[in-house]
Amino acid sequence: MIRFEDVSQRYGEVQAVRGVTFGVPSGVLCVLLGESGSGKSTLLRMVNRLIEPSGGRVLLQGQDVAGIDPQILRRGIGYVIQSVGLFPHRSVAENVATVPRLLGWDAARIAARVDKLLAMVGLEPGEYRARRPATLSGGQAQRVGLARALAADPPVLLMDEPFSALDPATRRGLQAELRRIHANMGKTILLVTHDVEEALALADRIAVMEAGRLVAEGPPLAVLGWETPASVRRMLGAETLAFHRLSALRAEDFALPGFAPGAPLLAAGGTMRDALLLMLTHGTDRAALAGEAARHLPLSAILAAP
Amino acid sequence: MKKAALWLALGAVAFLAALWAAPQAEGLWSALFPEVSRPAYVQESWFVLLGSHLALSLGAALLAAMLGIPAGIAATRSSGRALRPVVDAAFTLAQSVPPVAVIALALPLLGFGAAPTLLALVLYGALPLLRATVTGIESVPAQITEAARGLGLSPWQRLTRVELPLARPVLLAGLRVAVTLSVATTAVGAVAGARCLGTPIIIGLTNANPSYVLQGALFTAWLALLLDRALSLLAGPQSSP
Ligand SMILES: Nc1ncnc2c1ncn2[C@@H]1O[C@H](COP(=O)(O)OP(=O)(O)O)[C@@H](O)[C@H]1O
Ligand SMILES: [Mg+2]
Repeated sequence: MIRFEDVSQRYGEVQAVRGVTFGVPSGVLCVLLGESGSGKSTLLRMVNRLIEPSGGRVLLQGQDVAGIDPQILRRGIGYVIQSVGLFPHRSVAENVATVPRLLGWDAARIAARVDKLLAMVGLEPGEYRARRPATLSGGQAQRVGLARALAADPPVLLMDEPFSALDPATRRGLQAELRRIHANMGKTILLVTHDVEEALALADRIAVMEAGRLVAEGPPLAVLGWETPASVRRMLGAETLAFHRLSALRAEDFALPGFAPGAPLLAAGGTMRDALLLMLTHGTDRAALAGEAARHLPLSAILAAP
Repeated sequence: MKKAALWLALGAVAFLAALWAAPQAEGLWSALFPEVSRPAYVQESWFVLLGSHLALSLGAALLAAMLGIPAGIAATRSSGRALRPVVDAAFTLAQSVPPVAVIALALPLLGFGAAPTLLALVLYGALPLLRATVTGIESVPAQITEAARGLGLSPWQRLTRVELPLARPVLLAGLRVAVTLSVATTAVGAVAGARCLGTPIIIGLTNANPSYVLQGALFTAWLALLLDRALSLLAGPQSSP
């Protein structure tokens, strides 16, 4: 769906992006992970032509974006930024309606779409439609930002550190929302973050950037596995990487049949990390799994996890 | 808001009534200036003077806006950034020359009458408007213009739907300064023979008639205050959506 081919960008002396080549398949949520200044935003902004690469090309559905009118291109790509950038002189509904208006939808269709989207991002339309951005909390504003990006149902969504400015609880709430929306709508999403935990919570694939280079790319477990180069492991925090890896493993894939009397119950869909935290909290060496058949997860399974 | 508008309307009515009453208030002026033999200004109707004063000052403000605002917009476009210092220097020069000097310099070229005054007023008013436009547009937070760009607004749509609406309060404040300045400065034009509320001041000064001077000064200041109020009402609280 999105393909970078030997893409480079330099700003005077600074080589912000150096010969990056990789692709994001259709329907995949790919996280661009790397330290601040590693060139993630620069790469992301090449997709909707906010930046023109000084070398290489970016393809969208096989077409070089350089040949697409920037305005038309951008109206077909959702864009969410850390600082949200809602228009302060417009109501929440008008903000969400920005792109449908540019596309010339009729009023009734826009109104229906706005309500549907507000509901989708967890904001009661009747309560929020007429509100001004200044009256929203950070989390609510970013929900509106997400609704605005999704308004015209673009197949591709670009998100630049969308949740980084939010407090941890709000951030987790919005991450869950995004996972749900991604599962339901099947968008192709490229999301920038410097947070390994966030990457693991969201990613189908992870692309790791370091000093303008793509240093690793693939499914989370492969990228964060033992075979990952030492430099990448160091950058991602080698000391906690083993722990973070557990976030990418689903507990039920390692569960054993049978009851575990007295063991705490792990919620459905829990990860190995959730299971380990549960065991630490309760001081037990096993957790019971929710579900029809009796299953449990022993601590040894976590230690033996690949 | 409503109340302020009402007060403004009352003030305007009082002003017009005073203009009407001034030529008839012989008694009042002679009480103030007993040594003046003909203290009421009756050479011309005050309404005629008001009309040409407004035409001159508002016309000048309009022309100044037509110069200053587009120049400010051009200076904030990415293609116009290089132009910026030049525009700034030109307008600063225009501002640093006092209006009387401009009028005096323009007299031999444009002759007596309204033209030299108009020139001075336009040059004088364009700078605050240029400054206000640049300040207003540059005060729009970068993340908002970034979002507008990313959502696919064209440069024209970004200007008209995002930048100008958000710059509006600053722009209107600049407009208010320009109009008030223009109305107050127009009186100076009487020196060059522009007919305006300053005319009685000049006649009074040359004929040692302080009563004319007072009347001209009073009505000029009153008008400037009224217009300042009116414009602050417009620019004031964010009334429009
Ligand atoms: N407009 C610009 N002009 C000059 N240098 C820039 C510009 N944008 C980014 N850079 C530089 O390019 C590098 C990569 O920046 P960026 O893509 O924003 O990194 P990230 O998003 O990973 O933090 C940094 O060194 C940054 O300073
Ligand atoms: Mg960045």
